[in-house]
Amino acid sequence: MGTVVTFDLFDGAAPLMSTLAPIVEEAIDVLHRADAMFSTWKDESCISRIRRGEMSLDDAPDDVKTVLEHCREARGASQGWFDPWAMPGGVDPTGLVKGWAAQRSLDVLREANIGGALVNAAGDIASFGGPQEGQRFRVGIVDPANTRRLACVVETPGAIATSGAYERGAHLIDPHSGTPTTRAASATVVGSDLAMADALATALAVAGAQALSMLGELSDYEGLIIASDGTLHATPRFPLAKDVSTTGG
Amino acid sequence: MNYYFGILSVKVTVSKSKITKVAIGAINDGGNSRSISIDQYSIPLLEQETMQAQSGNIQSISGASYTSAGFAQSLQSALKQVGLK
Repeated sequence: MGTVVTFDLFDGAAPLMSTLAPIVEEAIDVLHRADAMFSTWKDESCISRIRRGEMSLDDAPDDVKTVLEHCREARGASQGWFDPWAMPGGVDPTGLVKGWAAQRSLDVLREANIGGALVNAAGDIASFGGPQEGQRFRVGIVDPANTRRLACVVETPGAIATSGAYERGAHLIDPHSGTPTTRAASATVVGSDLAMADALATALAVAGAQALSMLGELSDYEGLIIASDGTLHATPRFPLAKDVSTTGG
Repeated sequence: MNYYFGILSVKVTVSKSKITKVAIGAINDGGNSRSISIDQYSIPLLEQETMQAQSGNIQSISGASYTSAGFAQSLQSALKQVGLK
């Protein structure tokens, strides 16, 4: 299991690599530390020790407490469709950690004083600014029915996360049934914070189009579902790019 | 399993409109082969070039997960074609 993370930095003034490199190194370090703390694939990570009952939450580092607090918020906001406590093996914040880590990694890049930056962690994206002054980043959503093409393009306000079966199959657990279930081919959420967007996209992929109205109650997040028949279903203010034709719906 | 992050390669692009794009790949590789890691880094760039033609100007893509072995395999042949392997 490996995750590709890419960093894209944009600025009209062509900053020097000698200025950018140490900042990017620090941003990468954030990801490394998050992986050491939260990877369920590592026996010695904090989360693995907590899952085995070897570490209590009170003794856990602040970052673990922060992430679990984000998980509680996301569980509430998603009306239980995202629930790390309903996962087999003990609490599993994996559905939110990637977004949380990438968002913190992006925040380090603000030190570079550049016009825009994008951190893409295997399709979950945190960003600020844009490719040019006054422009938002345009992100293509991979068509779950054909991963060599795009279903649509989104003008992201900051964070964008997509969840779904894609090539890994039905790996998302439905907290209500305890079994792997996906009711959408893919679900995309945009908003201000990637940790929340990540969790909400996971929730939306499990719950399907019925849960789009749940997003309507959150002022800061919009969602899109691509159904297994290829149709697109979105919340009213979801920022689809108008100049691009979509594959369905 | 060993996980590591590192800077794989740095590509600086200065376009006619004076936008600098710096693309730096950082990978967390739970596997063993460095060549697979490089392939996985290259995937987003190659795919984006294919997709640019379809969608006009985009800066990134969301939804594909670049972790499957099958994906890496199909990429290896693509890399051969462009002379990167």
